[in-house]
Amino acid sequence: MPTPEKQPMSPEVMLGILKATMPFQVVSEALLRKIAAIGWKESYRAGQTLYEAGGPAEDLFIVVSGKIDHELQPGVNARRPMKTLVEGDVFGWAALLEKVPNRLAKAVCTEDALIIRINGEELLKVLGSDPDAGDVVMSRFATMITRDYTVPDLFAQLRGIHRKMHARDPQGMNVTLYRLTRWLKSPRPYLMFIGLSIFFGSWYLAVEVFKLPRFREMPGITTVVIEWLNPNPVFGLSLYSEEYYKHIAVSIWRVTQAFLLATALGVPLGLFLGWSKGVKDYVFPIFELLRPIPILAWVPIAIVMFVATESAVIFLTFLASFFATALNTMLGVESIDESYVRAANCLGASKSQVFFHVIVPGSLPFVFTGLQISVGVSWFSLVAAEMVSGQYGLGYVINTSYTMIRYPTIIIGMITLGAVGYVTSAMVRVAGDYMMQWRVRELALGSR
Amino acid sequence: MAAATAMPQGAAATRGAIRIEDVVKIYDPEGAAVMAVDHCSLDIAAGEICMIVGPSGCGKTTLLNAIAGFHEITSGRITLDGEVLCSTEKPRSTPGSDRVVVFQNGALFPWKSNLDNVAFGPVMQGKLSKTEAREKALSMMADAGLNGVEHNFPGEVSSGVRRRIEIVRALMNDPKVLLLDEPYRALDSLTKSVMHEALLEIYYRNKVTIFFITHDLEEAIFLGHKVAIMTSRPCKPKKILTVDIPHPRDYGVLTSKRFRELIEETNEAVHEEAVKAFQSGEKEG
Amino acid sequence: MAGRKFDSKALAKGVFSIVVFLVLWEIGSRSKTWITAESLSGFRDALGAMGFSKKYLPWIGAIPAPSEVVLAWGTVLFDPGYWHSWMMSGMRVGGGFFAAMLVGIPFGLALAVSRTTYGIGFPVFELLRPIPPLAWVPASIIFWPTQELSIAFVTFLGAFYTIVINVVGGARSIDVRFFQAAQSMGSSKADIFRRVILPGTLPSIVVGSAVGMGITWEVVVAAEMISGGGSQVGGTSGGGLGFFIWNSYVGGSYEQIVVGMISIGIAGFISSELLRHFGKYLTPWLRLR
Repeated sequence: MPTPEKQPMSPEVMLGILKATMPFQVVSEALLRKIAAIGWKESYRAGQTLYEAGGPAEDLFIVVSGKIDHELQPGVNARRPMKTLVEGDVFGWAALLEKVPNRLAKAVCTEDALIIRINGEELLKVLGSDPDAGDVVMSRFATMITRDYTVPDLFAQLRGIHRKMHARDPQGMNVTLYRLTRWLKSPRPYLMFIGLSIFFGSWYLAVEVFKLPRFREMPGITTVVIEWLNPNPVFGLSLYSEEYYKHIAVSIWRVTQAFLLATALGVPLGLFLGWSKGVKDYVFPIFELLRPIPILAWVPIAIVMFVATESAVIFLTFLASFFATALNTMLGVESIDESYVRAANCLGASKSQVFFHVIVPGSLPFVFTGLQISVGVSWFSLVAAEMVSGQYGLGYVINTSYTMIRYPTIIIGMITLGAVGYVTSAMVRVAGDYMMQWRVRELALGSR
Repeated sequence: MAAATAMPQGAAATRGAIRIEDVVKIYDPEGAAVMAVDHCSLDIAAGEICMIVGPSGCGKTTLLNAIAGFHEITSGRITLDGEVLCSTEKPRSTPGSDRVVVFQNGALFPWKSNLDNVAFGPVMQGKLSKTEAREKALSMMADAGLNGVEHNFPGEVSSGVRRRIEIVRALMNDPKVLLLDEPYRALDSLTKSVMHEALLEIYYRNKVTIFFITHDLEEAIFLGHKVAIMTSRPCKPKKILTVDIPHPRDYGVLTSKRFRELIEETNEAVHEEAVKAFQSGEKEG
Repeated sequence: MAGRKFDSKALAKGVFSIVVFLVLWEIGSRSKTWITAESLSGFRDALGAMGFSKKYLPWIGAIPAPSEVVLAWGTVLFDPGYWHSWMMSGMRVGGGFFAAMLVGIPFGLALAVSRTTYGIGFPVFELLRPIPPLAWVPASIIFWPTQELSIAFVTFLGAFYTIVINVVGGARSIDVRFFQAAQSMGSSKADIFRRVILPGTLPSIVVGSAVGMGITWEVVVAAEMISGGGSQVGGTSGGGLGFFIWNSYVGGSYEQIVVGMISIGIAGFISSELLRHFGKYLTPWLRLR
């Protein structure tokens, strides 16, 4: 085969041609110049073969003028086995795909043609220098390719190319470290430090240094910290005392029972309230009648109803949690886009199938938000209930610390409550993230 | 009515003929009494691509919803292959997998993988077991050039890919009619042109009747056999155009002389209605 | 969907279920009388086997019947002390809530507008937020000179957190294009604050205050019960509906407990509705959605 003349082309002319060609026209001029720099001009006479099927696939071709016949070898899953390529057409994509190292077709010139030729490997390198633009080009390529062939694992291959192009982006652990260093370099941690120092500093100064009148009986921050870390606490409660953990455990256990019960009853109720207008018409009025009554207003009735104070406390905590969960679940169901239900109906789903396959998964995000609120509300009620009745528990601790004039312990109790409340809320959030993988991934990629 | 050259080559479709006869739709008849559809009649042949063009809010989605079974009609009749879908006596048709809708903003279930989304129809109807449905879904997705994304979630792929998956999901049920409600509205024009060709590919293989709502006249003439230009609300066909550009078509058609001529013929009608809709302050449906 | 129309069928169903609810309650709480019937001896034994008392239905059997409650309510309506309780609670709720808005909205806006303020203030805020307001009661009593102020402080805290979170969230979710539009039209910073941030945050403030109102009632009632007599914390009577309930319990008049509960429910409902209507008045543009 006589080698065609390989000539450099004026970069401006090359640029002009690239700008008019899909998929190159979608990128910036700077990147196009780089691509133009690696391109070569070639001319072919009618009758010359550019390449044969089975030969090595190294270069990409763009037709500037003339006609090329493109004939796919039998066995390739193609839509149009025979194509005529004219000005502006791009061919020879196998040069970009790893898993397609050889030509799938035979390309023959039928009318004197002028061709631009770009080496596949070099093109990929150039695209890698601007990974985001490179992504766009590759995805345009993909759409164009799939119009004509079925390439096995095309998208998987493109992902591989994508990964290589983004190899310089931080991944995984690197991302976390990267974010951490950026955070440290920003003013945020220092402002946080300032804020917390102002707070703790004022507390310290007000109680222990200036001894301001109002603060005379307040426990100072040093007293609290010393007590908390004291192996032999003056007032009996510190990180070292067994009783401390007993109180924490009791409170947590109560909240857990109440929360689980409220979820088990509240979520199904909420689902039905949202799903069926009939159910809502009958049940919601009663629900809305009882909901405005503050949880603590139930305390005496609870004590009357439940002979044991333990059940009364759990009942009160349950009640608060139940209302929050049921309401949020109902709102979640009502906020599901109607299109999903309609699509399911079109596709032949029965009512119960729609319920389990659309309503339940679709309302999960709202349900979990509701559950987080519900946890917070549970702690709120629990503390109140424990302060009023019952033994053990953090609320009880705070209450009795006051009456027994163990003031530092009050603060310890408060801080512990805050910490435990935060942790339980975070646990619910993590559980939600786990159950809704699809949402985490969707949010991670940014909305489209 | 359709000219011979406007029909696709190869085996002609035998099912999916829709007749819309004198349909009227009034919302809230005892209250605000808003008429959305005004004595609309339209014939769609089996296997035909019928494009409905009209300004926003004119009531074209109402027609689609009536065929699909999401809304009632006030009077008139719609039949599919001779069977009554809805009529004055039975105002609401039952949604079914013989007329599947592809929604404007996409309705792939975000919590199911793409594969499970595509396999949804036959599994729900009990026509295929889960494994069989998944295998069929895999092969249909591969045919459409969508291999590699089966096990991702819809939220992880681009909207163009999502749209194509939704179409495959519809086709899994071997429907008579594909109802498309401005499916490409939110896509950029480059992706759109690729989507058009992809849709035509699918059509040439499956020959379903396509009922396609759009406000884009070029899209309508490029894809359709028949283009019905609707008036602003309340809508009825203002002008029905037969596109005599032969199938199979590719994007070369867009610059052809005949295409430009057809656009010129119809542009004025479309523009007139758009101005009317603008002046009456229509909110998008 | 037709929403604004008056749905009489739904109303009828609602009334029906409330009536059924009341009837069941009535029967249940009067169980002491009918459970002694011969035919139910097997049922009574089953109750006993499960650990419940055989003399009445578990739980429901212990509470007063609706009819008794209504009677008690009739009597109480003429007691000036009852109305005094309403006023006390109402004032505390109003005062605490108003104070929370007065401090919370500017604080929230400050956090949202200035990154420095956010950096300094928000960590402290988030540190204190998980601590339930009621846990502050003893500390509050130690600190404030009067009992009234200590209750007011705790009430304030309850609503404060919610309002701030909602204001910050609302301000942040204002579409950045509104800012860009204002700037391109030549607005000063003060202008932008007054005409973009304030109105843009208003819907979230309204939502936040509705939730905050609910929390305020919870806290007021709780504080009244705790400091008015629920535990040894605090001494002299503080009045208010919470105290009314606790007092009724201690005094053994169970019907009055329920009267108190329902009264608070009504009071809470009224205040929420007032707030909602006021909110709608402030944000007319949302009505047209």
